[in-house]
Amino acid sequence: MPLPKWYAVAKNEYRISTSRIRSIRPYFLYLVTGLLAVYVAFIAPSIVSLFIDDFIAFLLSQAAVAMMQLLLLLMFFWLLMIPITEILQQAQVAQLEIFLSAPVRPKDVLLGGFLGRMPIYAIAVTVVAGFFTAVLYPLGMDLAQIAIIIMIFILVLLSALWIGTVIAALLSTKLGKTSHGKDIGKALGVLIFLPMIALIYAIMGGGLIEALNDPATSGTYQVILGVVPSSWGAEIIVAFASSPGNIIAVGFETLTRFGGLVAFFLAALWLGTKAAARAYSLEPTISEAPKAKPDGALFKTIRYLGGAGSFGTLLVSMFKEYSRRLENLSWIAYAVGLFALVTIFLIGPEDPGSTLFTALFLLGFLAAAVASDVTLRGKENLFIYRKAPSGEGRFVRAMLAKGWLVAVPIAAAIIAIATALSPQATLASVLTSTGFVIQMTAAYVAFALGLFLLLPVPSENPKARNMTLMIVVMIMVFVSIGMFITSVEVIGGENALLMHAPLSWLLGIVFLYLGKRNLSRIE
Amino acid sequence: MDELNLEIYEGETFGLLGPNGAGKTTTIRLLNCIIRPTSGSATVNGYDILNDQMDVRRVTGLLAESPGLYEKLSAHEFLEFIGALYDVPSDIIPDRIDDLLKLFGLHERRDHLLEGYSRGMKQRVLIAAALIHDPPILFFDEPTSTLDPRAALMVKDLIRGLARDAGKTIFISSHILPIVEELCDRIGIIDQGRLIALGTVEEVLSQTGTKTLEKAFIDLTGGVKEKELLTWREQKGAAA
Repeated sequence: MPLPKWYAVAKNEYRISTSRIRSIRPYFLYLVTGLLAVYVAFIAPSIVSLFIDDFIAFLLSQAAVAMMQLLLLLMFFWLLMIPITEILQQAQVAQLEIFLSAPVRPKDVLLGGFLGRMPIYAIAVTVVAGFFTAVLYPLGMDLAQIAIIIMIFILVLLSALWIGTVIAALLSTKLGKTSHGKDIGKALGVLIFLPMIALIYAIMGGGLIEALNDPATSGTYQVILGVVPSSWGAEIIVAFASSPGNIIAVGFETLTRFGGLVAFFLAALWLGTKAAARAYSLEPTISEAPKAKPDGALFKTIRYLGGAGSFGTLLVSMFKEYSRRLENLSWIAYAVGLFALVTIFLIGPEDPGSTLFTALFLLGFLAAAVASDVTLRGKENLFIYRKAPSGEGRFVRAMLAKGWLVAVPIAAAIIAIATALSPQATLASVLTSTGFVIQMTAAYVAFALGLFLLLPVPSENPKARNMTLMIVVMIMVFVSIGMFITSVEVIGGENALLMHAPLSWLLGIVFLYLGKRNLSRIE
Repeated sequence: MDELNLEIYEGETFGLLGPNGAGKTTTIRLLNCIIRPTSGSATVNGYDILNDQMDVRRVTGLLAESPGLYEKLSAHEFLEFIGALYDVPSDIIPDRIDDLLKLFGLHERRDHLLEGYSRGMKQRVLIAAALIHDPPILFFDEPTSTLDPRAALMVKDLIRGLARDAGKTIFISSHILPIVEELCDRIGIIDQGRLIALGTVEEVLSQTGTKTLEKAFIDLTGGVKEKELLTWREQKGAAA
């Protein structure tokens, strides 16, 4: 009897998701199971034991329900995003053709894809569930309560992953058919986490927990949270914490909320398989061929700024290629959004010193995001420059100019607005901060460009880009902090930024030189 | 590459044949100063590939096998960009782009972004890009492998015209034998980085004692024996 089709799809998916560790694949499951067993039995309880009194006090406090609801909500959304982000960033329909031309039902493809990734997801589920079991066990809960709590985590997390998988399949088919759709997918893949980051910052410094605990303000929030299935699980967990070893005392709540969770999971499963046929389709979509408009004022200005000759043409070509990719613009939006969230929730506009300090680090991220596309189009594109006379030098100069033209005005606008919002702001303080940030951003762009040329990512694979971007941002942040501390030590806190600036420029120039040298070695 | 010793004469069309991975693309990259040789040297139009890289790049045009393309630019913008890279004077470039786009049947879609082009259309844009600075030497790496018969015929006619009427020196690398046979004055066959045959098609046929270039190619580079091809069907239960 042939194996079920979903099993074949799942096996294929598992092989794809573990392709990087294929040399240890035969032992992978045993290895992970062993490690997780050690984690659940020893590591999690040891970590928890360090803070057990605080945990217990928290679980019995008034804030517990709201906090647990928010925690599970964050986990729910985080796991929902994982499959969506993965698919959005690599939306393609080429592999779909294999499935659609084979005698296999769409729901087998969907289910197989989900189950194939399950061993990897199960690691996350076990880590989370293991930690909470370790926290709750010392309260004196009975086995039935612990089993129900583990089931709650499994149901919440599986529901999120399944819904994420279905949405991802629907989006992939919709977006993967055209270049523009793929670009939209990559852009959404970058921006999708911003709302979650906003929620985290609102919890950390935005007063969300206080609002949830205040009877005057909690009503609306509680109604919103109560609709989300993860909150039903949170209510059971907190109820068990209040009545350890006595499941009967909270029997009704357990029955209704746990029943609701099971029903939600089954309904999601059923609806997902029904949506599968719609998710997997290669029906042609009617889309207008994207056209380039005649150069407007922006491109004409850039060409003029580039000297109007051949360098101006190079610069404007790079600018067009950059600005027509939504993925690139989404990174800028992400950096700006992050700065806005930090200012709103964590710092507040009334502290211009902190705003400037935060801007210096977050604008490093903006500079890195803008410079990150330098090698993405692959070595074949780099060969275009290498083939041309003095091509590599002109390529680096044009990339640097493009980075400045993108990052500097944005950085200037952000810092000007942020400092102007401060009650103590004067025209002089706004202009000084803006001028300082402009030259720092220019130095950061040179530094980031040099780093990306030293760590080239000759692939449009968003995972590779994101990974290198994170490495570059880490290097920039650590180096920047190091330089700042050195500046404070050498000339004191008041004037530290005056030394920090030339040091940043020095690094930018050195790394740009090293990066250009490395560029000619890429083969 | 393994001690490749090769001379191509001015104004001739030369074809380099070889199986996949033989070293054809590496040879072209070396001669265009895209990569540097670990040992040995070469001159292109009298310029040394190690010491006169700028001059070599100026006198050559290249259609790469897997070329880079800026998909968010239109055909016109892309050619304008390549023209700028090769310092084509700005008063010449608009007319030249128009002429090339008309020649390759792309003029009506000049403002469409390249991401919406078919593979064949992209290939035509890339051939136009190789010609934009009107170099005396042209390298074509698999020039017709992605083209439909009509476009392939047009490219063949273009190569023939460039050699005959414009006096260009043309270096074609391909494993599509009829194209090389039809267009080239002389051919070379390489395998595993070594040049194993050189001469006119007739000379190579007589060297191998074969009647067709295909047979000569298989003779020189090895092939799969006919009887082995269907053994997979003899296994029990293999047939559906």
